[in-house]
Amino acid sequence: MNWLYEFPFEIPMDLKAIDASVRAFSVEYDGFFSVIRGGLVNLVSFFNNVLDMIPWAVFILLVFLAGWRVSRKISKGLLFAVLLLFIGAVGFWSLMNETLAIILASVLISLLIGFPIGIFISTGDRANNIMRPILDTMQTMPVFVYLIPAMLFFGLGKAPAVIATTIYAIVPMIRLTNLGIRQIDGEIVEASKAFGSTKLQSLIKVQIPQALPTIMTGVNQTLMMAISMVVTTSMIGATGLGMEVLIAVNRVEIGRGLVSGTSVVIIAVVLDRLTQGLVKRSEVKTDG
Amino acid sequence: MVFCLKRIIGIILIASMLAITVVGCSGDSGTATTKEVNFADAGWDSNKLHNAIAGLVAEELWDYEIKETPGSSTVLHEGLLKGEVDVHMEVWTDNLATYSEDLAAGKLQELGTNFDDNNQGVYVPRYVIEGDAERGIVASAPDLKSIQDLKNYPDVFKDEENAGMGRMYGAIPGWQVDEILYKKFMYLGMEENFIYFRPGSDAALSTAITSAYEKGEPIAAYYWEPTWLLGLYDMVLLEDEPFDQETYLEGKTAMPSVDVTVGVSNEFGDAEENKEFIDFLSNYETSSALTSEGLGYMQESGSDYKETAKWFLNEHPELLDAWLTPEDAEAMKTALNQ
Repeated sequence: MNWLYEFPFEIPMDLKAIDASVRAFSVEYDGFFSVIRGGLVNLVSFFNNVLDMIPWAVFILLVFLAGWRVSRKISKGLLFAVLLLFIGAVGFWSLMNETLAIILASVLISLLIGFPIGIFISTGDRANNIMRPILDTMQTMPVFVYLIPAMLFFGLGKAPAVIATTIYAIVPMIRLTNLGIRQIDGEIVEASKAFGSTKLQSLIKVQIPQALPTIMTGVNQTLMMAISMVVTTSMIGATGLGMEVLIAVNRVEIGRGLVSGTSVVIIAVVLDRLTQGLVKRSEVKTDG
Repeated sequence: MVFCLKRIIGIILIASMLAITVVGCSGDSGTATTKEVNFADAGWDSNKLHNAIAGLVAEELWDYEIKETPGSSTVLHEGLLKGEVDVHMEVWTDNLATYSEDLAAGKLQELGTNFDDNNQGVYVPRYVIEGDAERGIVASAPDLKSIQDLKNYPDVFKDEENAGMGRMYGAIPGWQVDEILYKKFMYLGMEENFIYFRPGSDAALSTAITSAYEKGEPIAAYYWEPTWLLGLYDMVLLEDEPFDQETYLEGKTAMPSVDVTVGVSNEFGDAEENKEFIDFLSNYETSSALTSEGLGYMQESGSDYKETAKWFLNEHPELLDAWLTPEDAEAMKTALNQ
C-alpha cells in the first residue's frame, strides 16, 4: 500500500544535457545576443541621460504641474512635489533616475509589443486560447528560472533587467487591451459598419477610443508591475534604488532598507496617480 | 427534497473538513519526542556537504532527525543567535560584520574550526594569461600577475555598458569582503578606468563567470574556494601584497584565509541531550582540499549530498577516528558498510 503515498516510479531526466545545450546555444549565438544587448543598454542609457540632464527643480516643477493638471487639484500637485523632494533630500536622486530609466525602457517596450498583441488576440478566440497559457506562464514562472539563461545570453546588468521586467510587465497590457476591445458594445461596432467604415477604420476610430479607459488601466498596471520588479533586477546587477534595498537587506540595516523602500513606494504612488488621472480623462463621454 | 439534499451535502463537507483538520494536526505531535537538529543551509555546495556529513553521523549514531533551513549568511547568523537555527557548519567569520562582538557577548558558541586554508580574491581565467591552444584562445594579458597590474588592462576586461572602461566583478553586496574589496579598488586607483560591478547575488556572479568562461572571454571577478565553480573551471588568483593584520581591512593587502568555524546556538549547545553531538562537532575539522575533493566527486559522479557524504566518510575513516570516541567511530564505520 506504500505506493499510494509515495510515487512508485520516476521519469529519468537528463538535466545535465539541458544545461549543456543551453550553454552551447549561448556560445553559438553570441553575436545575435550581443546586438540585442547593445540595443537595450543604449535605450536605458538614453533615458538615464535625459533624466540626468533635467535639473531636479525643473523635474519637481514638471511633476507638480502634471499632478495639478491631471487631478484638477493644486493640493495633489503639491503632494507629489513634496514626496519627490524627500527622495532628493535623502540623497537618492541619481539612483532614482537610474531606476526610472530601466522602468521607462521596459514599459516602452511592453507598450510597443503588448498593444499590437492585445489587439491581435481580441480578434479571434483561437489566438486567445493560445496566448492565455503563455501569459499565465510569463507571470507565474519563478523569475530566476528564466533569468539565469537570460544572464547567460545577455550578461549582467541593464539588459537582462529590462528583459525580466518586460516579460513580467507586458502581460497586463496584453490582457487589458484584449479585454477592453472585447467589452465594447456590439451595437456601436455594428453602427460604425452600417455607416460604411472598413475594419481598420472601425478599429482605429471607434473601437480603440471606446476601449481607451481599459487600455489606459493596462498601461497603469504595466507600470506598477515594472516597479515591483525593481529589487529582483538588482539581484542580477542592475544599479539604482533596488541595489540599495538589496544591500540594506543583506547587511540587516533595517533603517536603510526602509528609506530606500519608501523611495520606491513614492515613485510607484506618483506614477500610479499620474497615469490613473490619464485614465479618467480618457473616458469617452457617452451622455450627450 | 432539494433542500434536504443541499443540507446533507453541506453537513458532509463540514464533517470531512473537520476530520481532515484533526488528522492533519495529530500527524505532527507524533514526532515531538525525537531529537531534532536544524542545520543552517547558506546555499553553497560545501555548506550542504558538511551538513550532510555531520547529519549522517548524527542520524546513525544518535538518532537525530535532520532538518535544514536555507537562507543567506546574515539571515542565518541572526537565526543562530535567536536559536531558530541550531548548527551552522560553515561560519565564514570574516563575512559577518557583527561576528566578533556576538561571540564576545556570548550570544552563540563557537565549537572550533572547520577549515581555515581557503582562498578568496580576484580571479581571472587561466586562458587570459596563458592562452589555450585547444580552444584557439590567444592570451590577451600574458603579463598579468597581480591585482596591482589589473588596472593596466581596461580594454581586455571591457565593460559593455560603459565604453572605454574595464569591469571588475565585486563580491556579493552585504558581505564584509565587498566593503574591503571596494576599498582595495579605490586604494589601487582603479576607479579611473574600471567599474566596480556589484553582481547582486551569488547566482548572478557564478552565471557571469560561467558565461564568460564558456565563451572564452576575459573576466576579472571576485570568488572564493572551495566551490564547485573553481573546482570546475581553471582560474588563477591574482597576487596581492602579503597579508597584514592591521591594514587588510582597508584593502591594502591580500585577504587572509577566513577562519571558517562551526557555530551552535546557545539553546542547542546547553541542552544536556545534545552533549555527544556537541563533542563530535567540537572535534569536527576538515580542510579546503578535503572539501574540494568531496565537491569534485559530487560533480563528476552526479551523486546527491547524502551519497557523497557516505563516500567521503568511507574514503577517510581516519577522520571518524579523529572526531569520535573509538566505540562510536567503530559503530559508524559498521553502519556505513551496511
